[in-house]
Amino acid sequence: MNKDKIVPYTLIAPALLLLILYRFWPTVLGLHESLFTTSFAQGGKKIFIGPGNFIHLWNDPVFWSSVIATVLFNVIANPLQIFLAYILAALLNRKVKGINLFRGLFLIPVAISINVSSIIWKLMLDSGGLVNGILDRMGLAPQPFLLSVDQALWSVIWISSWIGVPFWSLFILAGFQSIPRQVYEAAAIDGVSSPQRTFRITLPLMKNSLAFVLIADTVANFLLFTPVLLLTGGGPELSTNVAMFEAYRRGMIYGDLGTASGIVMMLLCLIIIVVGLQSLLFREKK
Amino acid sequence: MKKNGTYSVSHRILTYAFLFIVFIIVFIPLLWSLSASFTPNNRIYEYVAPFSWKAFVPVDFTPEAYGILFGERGFGIVVLRTLVISLLTVVFGGVVAFAAGFGFARFRFRGRNLLFGLVMVSFMVPIEVTVLPLYIMIVHSGWVNTWRGVVIPGLANGLVIFLFRQFFMEIPGSMLEAARVDGTSWLRILRSIVLPVSLPVTIGASLILFLSAWNNYFWPLLVATKPRFRLVQVAISMAIQQQQIYWNELFAGALIAALVPIVIVLPLQKYYVQSVVSSGIKG
Repeated sequence: MNKDKIVPYTLIAPALLLLILYRFWPTVLGLHESLFTTSFAQGGKKIFIGPGNFIHLWNDPVFWSSVIATVLFNVIANPLQIFLAYILAALLNRKVKGINLFRGLFLIPVAISINVSSIIWKLMLDSGGLVNGILDRMGLAPQPFLLSVDQALWSVIWISSWIGVPFWSLFILAGFQSIPRQVYEAAAIDGVSSPQRTFRITLPLMKNSLAFVLIADTVANFLLFTPVLLLTGGGPELSTNVAMFEAYRRGMIYGDLGTASGIVMMLLCLIIIVVGLQSLLFREKK
Repeated sequence: MKKNGTYSVSHRILTYAFLFIVFIIVFIPLLWSLSASFTPNNRIYEYVAPFSWKAFVPVDFTPEAYGILFGERGFGIVVLRTLVISLLTVVFGGVVAFAAGFGFARFRFRGRNLLFGLVMVSFMVPIEVTVLPLYIMIVHSGWVNTWRGVVIPGLANGLVIFLFRQFFMEIPGSMLEAARVDGTSWLRILRSIVLPVSLPVTIGASLILFLSAWNNYFWPLLVATKPRFRLVQVAISMAIQQQQIYWNELFAGALIAALVPIVIVLPLQKYYVQSVVSSGIKG
């Protein structure tokens, strides 16, 4: 019996060791890093400056422009993606012939990596790319897309939605399928109209799936980074310079790990707050 | 929803029409890439502007791009290398998570809830948050441009531990107790009783681990900088940043990078979707 006491600890030890070493310790290090600065005058020595990095960021217009880009991106992309994912899931939930084929097909963008999708869309949106070819054929003027201050953020939103919508629709489809058919049969007998069915029956029963998608999509979009790295490099004129990319630029390009970690820590706090508020919102209506 | 075949005709046509529109938006980029990858480099843009449907059919069909890619560019070895890395992640990450999931599900021990709480937190704290400090850690330990530096940090996957635990909690206890009374060792019980019944969750978890490794771009970009450590996603992303782009090769490379996970996920989609979705619904 005594031997059995060690068994569970032996089983979980490798996993916990990996998690602590490669997930938790780096988070602590990041927090630590955000309170220090590297002094090149003193041969790269780390100096404790407390909230110095955060004060520095507060006074930096480039940081604020990245905050604005991030907020703008999220305010547009999150509702758009969830709405489209809902529509796609509703379509895929229709019991028509060949629907399983469609469900399989829409898994393809989910399996492809973000950077392959980004690369293909960069080629699509190039000045001589396919999208402009089609626009031209339709008699419309060519658009600069990723090269324009006004359109670059929208283009990144479009690409991230192409990746994200099929993925989030998986969860919503599962939500649809968890609603017992009898609920709808009863509603049909009572003569409930179609919009009433959506707002009175489907949406309330889908609350958990939608809450999860809202929270997970928000987290993902706050940290969006790869498409920006590959497609725009934050430009033109910082129009797509979202906060996570600003952290990358500072940390990896300028070697300023202090403020880079500061931005990441603020993002983490922001995510915790947003996720907390969203789960409160959904809990209260129970 | 209504039973099969009870939709009106117009209703059904509308459903197909919408599905078709979404299908076009999702697949046009892929169809164009496929066609372009089989077209000679100087003719790819021939039917793009002015646009004609011929853009989706290779002009002058040639597998030349694939030939060069796997020949002089050595993309084959990059693909092979990435496959090995991904399989290592599946095997080691899978075994570690399998054991931990079983430990959390089937034993009562001091600190269990606290430790499992740690696992839950780990998959809610996004990986992006830890990348910069993790990179510094790896630099300090001299693991840059080593296989352990590429693979080991990706083995810790809280989501996969969680999936295994949820599954193991539902195994009937009587099965395990009978074996315990017979004095069978835990290692044997895991291998010959638990593993065979947990095929669905094992497949789902393996797919998640495989995709996480195969599709990983940013981590190898940071820690595997030497050419002999080049992995698929980094290789194709570097190709697009070069001055002179061989479009057909770029399309071919991107498609191969996309094809591998598609070929693996599609036949096993039931398990994949189940695992991905249950992470959201139960969590």
